[in-house]
Amino acid sequence: MKNRILLLIFSVFFVISCTSDFDEINERTDALTAADVSAKYFVTNVQTGVYAPNRYPYWRGPVIHVDRYSGHTTFGFKACWWNDGLGYTYTAGYTGAVWGWQAGTNGSLNAFTNFVKPGGTLENPQYYAIALIMKGLYYQRFTDHFGMVPYTEASDPNIVTPVFDDQKTIYKGIIADLDAAMTLIGSETTTGSGPQLLTDNDLFFNGNMQDWKKLANSLKLKIALRAHGATGEDFSVAAATQAIGNVLGDKNALVTSDNEISTWGSASYGDIWHPFYGGGHWNVGSVLIDVLRDNNDPRISKFAKPIQGGTFELTQPPSGPNLALYDKHVKFLTDHLKAGGMTITETTAADGTVTITVPENTHYVGQPTRLNSKIKPYLHTKLFSKPADYITQAKNQGKPIAPKLVMTAAESHLMLAEAALKGIGSNANTHYQNGIKKSMEMWGVSASDITTFLTNESIATLSGTTEQKLGMVATQRWIAHYTDGLEAWAVARDTGFPQELPGISSTITDQDIYVLGDLNGVYPQRMRYGGDAYNKNGVNVNAANATQGADLQATKLWWAK
Amino acid sequence: MKTKFSRILTSILMVFAFGFSVQSQSISGTVTDDNGVPLPGASVIVQGTSNGVSTDFDGNYSINASMGDVLEISFVGYTTQTVSVGSSSTINVQLSADNALDEVVVTSLGISRQKKSLGYSITEVSGDQINTVKDHNIASSLVGKVPGLNITGGGSMGSGSRILIRGNNSLSGNTQALIVVDGVPINADGINSGGSVYNNSVSGGGISDINPADVESISVLKGPNSAALYGSRAGNGVILITTKKGSSESKLGITINSNVSMEDAMILPDLQNTYGQGTLAVAPATLADFTSGSWGQKMDGSNQLYYTGNQKAYSAQPDNVKNFFRTGVKSINSLSLEKGGENSSVRFSYTNNTTTGILPVSKLESHNFNVRGTSQLSDKLSIDFKATYFAQEVLGRARTGGEGVTALVYNMPRNVVTSDLKNYQKANPSSPADYAVISYNPAQSTTGNPYWMLMNDIDQEKRGRFFGFTSINYEFNDWLSGLVRVGTDITSVYTFNVRQPGHHYYSSGRMNNGTSKSGELNTDFLLTATQDITSDLNLVFNLGGNLSKRTYERLNVFGEDFKIPSKYFLNNTNNQIISETPIQTKKVNSLYAAANFAYDGFVYLDLTARNDWSSTLAADNRSIFYGSANVAVLLEDFINVDIIDMFKLRGSIANVGNDTDPYQLVQTFSVPGAGYLGLTTLSAPSTRLNPDLKPENVQSTEFGLELAMFNNKVNLDLAVYNIKTTDLIFRVPVPAATGYNFFLENVGEVTNKGVEVSLGFPVWETADFSWNSSLFYSANENKLVSLIDGIDTLVYTTTNSGNLSTQGKVGGGIGDIYGTVWSKDANGNYLVNANGRPIASNPDQLLGNAQPDWLGGITNTMTYKNWSLNVLIDGRFGGEIYSQENASLDSQGVSSRSLQYRESGVTLTGLDPNGAANAQALTGQEYWTTNAAIAENHVYDQTNIRLREIAVGYNFPDVSAIGLDGASLQIIGRNLFFFDKRMDNFDPENMLGTNLQGQGISSGSLPTTRSIGMNLTLKF
Repeated sequence: MKNRILLLIFSVFFVISCTSDFDEINERTDALTAADVSAKYFVTNVQTGVYAPNRYPYWRGPVIHVDRYSGHTTFGFKACWWNDGLGYTYTAGYTGAVWGWQAGTNGSLNAFTNFVKPGGTLENPQYYAIALIMKGLYYQRFTDHFGMVPYTEASDPNIVTPVFDDQKTIYKGIIADLDAAMTLIGSETTTGSGPQLLTDNDLFFNGNMQDWKKLANSLKLKIALRAHGATGEDFSVAAATQAIGNVLGDKNALVTSDNEISTWGSASYGDIWHPFYGGGHWNVGSVLIDVLRDNNDPRISKFAKPIQGGTFELTQPPSGPNLALYDKHVKFLTDHLKAGGMTITETTAADGTVTITVPENTHYVGQPTRLNSKIKPYLHTKLFSKPADYITQAKNQGKPIAPKLVMTAAESHLMLAEAALKGIGSNANTHYQNGIKKSMEMWGVSASDITTFLTNESIATLSGTTEQKLGMVATQRWIAHYTDGLEAWAVARDTGFPQELPGISSTITDQDIYVLGDLNGVYPQRMRYGGDAYNKNGVNVNAANATQGADLQATKLWWAK
Repeated sequence: MKTKFSRILTSILMVFAFGFSVQSQSISGTVTDDNGVPLPGASVIVQGTSNGVSTDFDGNYSINASMGDVLEISFVGYTTQTVSVGSSSTINVQLSADNALDEVVVTSLGISRQKKSLGYSITEVSGDQINTVKDHNIASSLVGKVPGLNITGGGSMGSGSRILIRGNNSLSGNTQALIVVDGVPINADGINSGGSVYNNSVSGGGISDINPADVESISVLKGPNSAALYGSRAGNGVILITTKKGSSESKLGITINSNVSMEDAMILPDLQNTYGQGTLAVAPATLADFTSGSWGQKMDGSNQLYYTGNQKAYSAQPDNVKNFFRTGVKSINSLSLEKGGENSSVRFSYTNNTTTGILPVSKLESHNFNVRGTSQLSDKLSIDFKATYFAQEVLGRARTGGEGVTALVYNMPRNVVTSDLKNYQKANPSSPADYAVISYNPAQSTTGNPYWMLMNDIDQEKRGRFFGFTSINYEFNDWLSGLVRVGTDITSVYTFNVRQPGHHYYSSGRMNNGTSKSGELNTDFLLTATQDITSDLNLVFNLGGNLSKRTYERLNVFGEDFKIPSKYFLNNTNNQIISETPIQTKKVNSLYAAANFAYDGFVYLDLTARNDWSSTLAADNRSIFYGSANVAVLLEDFINVDIIDMFKLRGSIANVGNDTDPYQLVQTFSVPGAGYLGLTTLSAPSTRLNPDLKPENVQSTEFGLELAMFNNKVNLDLAVYNIKTTDLIFRVPVPAATGYNFFLENVGEVTNKGVEVSLGFPVWETADFSWNSSLFYSANENKLVSLIDGIDTLVYTTTNSGNLSTQGKVGGGIGDIYGTVWSKDANGNYLVNANGRPIASNPDQLLGNAQPDWLGGITNTMTYKNWSLNVLIDGRFGGEIYSQENASLDSQGVSSRSLQYRESGVTLTGLDPNGAANAQALTGQEYWTTNAAIAENHVYDQTNIRLREIAVGYNFPDVSAIGLDGASLQIIGRNLFFFDKRMDNFDPENMLGTNLQGQGISSGSLPTTRSIGMNLTLKF
């Protein structure tokens, strides 16, 4: 008995000191290691990370902020969840989400780059070229949101708190990367063969490296033109000249919106509009509708729907501060409706309430931007045009949804026009018209409608002073970026066009009608850094603020007009 | 280290091996106290001889004696008992305490010790204390009874509690106490739950699955010093639960207990009843004009458009929120059968808990079967086994947070009749539009209807749990015994959730079907040797080992977009996403030893050592050594003051750990369930792992004083401690520019310092009447000393708008609350914007901390003849909480507060952007909505004092005449009222979750329930 017990105890000792299976059980069975994977699988998430993030950042980034800053879309109609002041007054959580998305995208890009760079486990020069171009696209968008961001010390895990670099440094770095990428690509057309071959995992070009090369060149021109004229810049003319000397992108680089997977995953306007926050949809901005409608632009019916119209009661408040503003509010609204040439009928009841009748489904009217909550009760949503169904199409209906824009042929041509007007290159008007044509083609306008527009409309031909011509080009770039608010907003900040955007050319002061917000009536020039940036890298954020100006939306970026 | 340690242990073992000597013709048995708790070290001698032995750590003894001999069993503090030896070779003895000085408590590894010999702080709670005012969750019954224990809730029925001992010792993951039942650690999955400000649900797990009716006693090992023998699981302290065994009586004992109580909302928000639904002081004129706020005109009873599209009297509905809740019924009934014999005992119990919550539909039903048996198989070999099966189903657990059902209830417009909302969907829906929710805000499809959520949203959770152990005890001789025990704990959880088509957020519907299984298998051995080294110096030496294997697996299928909207199963959905965690395993092997020296009954020294080998760490870091030393000195004999019966000083140092989860070492990539457009995609991991990860290191020092005076009637226990955790395993949130969002590293330092005092004293005593009070005070100060160079902040939870977050911040503590305040200029003037609204600061202003400064409780026990009265009053003092629901009540215009400024508006005193005095008037609506967005306005002091428990009891005398052994009845109440509370409208103890993320924020919390009922016990 004694010996048996002893034996038992010794066997327990033996078992306890045995850790032979410990390494094995601590190895994940449901995950892949670097040895299992190919570089191509990483390309897609890098692309969607920059252009088609999931619902949370998509709402808080494009929809709530930059698309509205661009003037393309607006909130704040009656019964809309959102007040149109949102985003013009600082909201930490919404701003923070945009920072989180933009800053966070570096992770997948960095991992991809580390795999494919020289010496990486999946080393491949063509993938590396793609990584460099994606890095350029990413940083251009990132810095154009915020200004100074970590760049030179970024992506080094040994530097926990990287410094923030100024935009000039970042722009020059992007150009250097693009040049390197174009050299790597040379005349290659594919990324290789077998598992190396990139095809449909590349949402932009299906693995066509020459298309990537052209995209790189277009991005180089974009960077150069945006920097052009900024304080202390010394590279834009040379870079733009080089870009013009090479082949620009003549193919639309798009990210097809995912119309299949969960509506909470990779997002588009469609799934945000429909299943989630049905009360939070939005209207098309009036500056955009006006410029399309007033110039008989055939894109109007591709971008927007006519107003639903009908009869509406504008209820006069029985008391309170809004009573005194009632007449002013009604006049503002009816003047705006009539400005587009629409005939409306107005009747005033004994209690002062005005009833208006508006034609149904025939006219386009945009909603003015930055209207405040005092006028909101009169802004019936049926009085304003909504985006076309193609843009707000729900997922899983078997119908396409407007893609995300990466770089369009229209943009390349309009940039050539802009370059020519800035003394780099020539034939501004030809490029201008080609740009409009390419944009219309992308939106499915018929050839005959394009010809009619280009032939008949004065806006279709550059005229006036160079400044006016640059304004025309900028306005067309702004239109061509419809659904890509960041780029449209960047054009407006860079050029000051369209001048009709509230706050861009003069400060808004009428607080009976408009939201002045924390911006106090000026145009938003950048987004503020997220709280996360302060929490994790406070010293360097504060250093950036000391360099580029206070962390406010009104602080202009380096290249802003 | 490993080899050397093993060699030492082996040598020690060899020494013991030589001491083996087998005796025959012996009498053996167990010596226990009144409660059946074994008494180690009790003396058993054959009267009139020098033949005597001491009981082992399990109270077992074995002695040579002949028939007719008289055994004298004695133990300090207990009345000595004598028993004649008959034909039986087993004699079990129960000793009655003769005074409280020599209380025996259950310590680490289930070893019973005399409390006075301990060099650390431990608090024992008896089964009765948690079984009178009963809750399905034992943790709720510990609130206010144990110094140093901070328990908060936040969920509803079937939700767990957060059990924090002496503060947060870790930055991430689990900071809660380890639960050990009958010596076997139980699985803790589910105990860190909730914390979402959106749609929040707090699950149960761990202690909430233990049936209170089976509990004999609970020992709270407060912190590393008392828990050191648990090594890498001891970092957060341990709660030891000892369950009941069968009695040694040969008669069949039957106990029936019925505990039934009615529950209603203890507190509901204070709402205004003057203004109805609308905006800008106007009731909506068309359906498109509706908003959910109550910013309309005065409710004058006139006919106005109602959300249904009909005209209805625009009248206040003062009770519409109250009417939504119902009276809950909690009914916990148990039956236990027990029988003993000379050599064995068995106890069976069944407990049924059927509880309906105050939220309509919500229901909890559980069944608990428990069998416990002990048997003395031979004079040396005994066996103890237990098997418990627990099955629980929770239906309609409350969803809190900003999008939860409660938010829709609290924000109900003041003129809406609750029962009208029961029409939440068109009858016989056919087209997709028919399925849409009908809410009190018809203009917005994203406003839900609380009844829809109750009736159409299915939230079901089924838990099945098996616990069991078998332990075999062998007496080698009168000084050495050994135990081998195998314990298992298997939990499976099935969840089924449906959001039917037409739901306000998920219009095409979605569902989720998940199963998970957690297991824990513990195999232990323990050798105990008792030796008198000299006549004054006694040694008890324990040597043990443990193999712990913990597993977890999960399969979850999510489906959305129902093809045919009337039935809800996965094949009827268009999109499915599978997420799967194949079985993951963690093993920890351990060896430990403890030596308890007692010198002349006045100096006690304990030394413990443990070595763990953990599979979650790399080979080089796998082996970790932990140790502790505790000293207790009894000085009453030296002080020689008559009124002092005991004067004990104690001190302890301990070093324990806190290890990590599986798969934390090697970087991998996972394939998401849905790629993009059907493409296979891979993402980079966002956390940089560290293959050299090691366990957290927790060092704790504790000093204490115990004093007994006036014939032990006044007892004081004082403890001070200092706990320092270093090498915190922490996902350091790094700037994404590094290429990662987190680095998983060992970093930083956290300290917890605190004081615990408990004092028991008689208030009044006469022959028939006694009134005893015990009170406690505990204060803990938590400090985050360092994180990592360059980074001083860790964010736990951020509100939807980002106006507030809970953080850990260097220099501050874990659970610091940061948020926006109304901005001021350098001269202290408030700033307003051009529209006259307050300008919010950046959300970086310190507004408080989620941990209370101190906790206190007073338990009063009064008895008069057969009557008894127990009253527990407890309080939290200091600490802050942000109330999202209060902000929402204001911005929706439903709170009483929001009546202010409605008629006249307000012009705030402050400077406008031009530096001039503000002249812009705000309407009440503008003021309150802006005010609600600034975080500081809804951060409240957690301070509250409440009548936590009350029980008025009567013991029926002379029940034997009707065939009963005993009968007692108590009228019980819980959470009857607040003596004081600083937070408006809600209970500050209702946090958003049981995890760290849920601390310091309250959002859409379910009202705390007040319960009144009765507890009837019948013994046959």
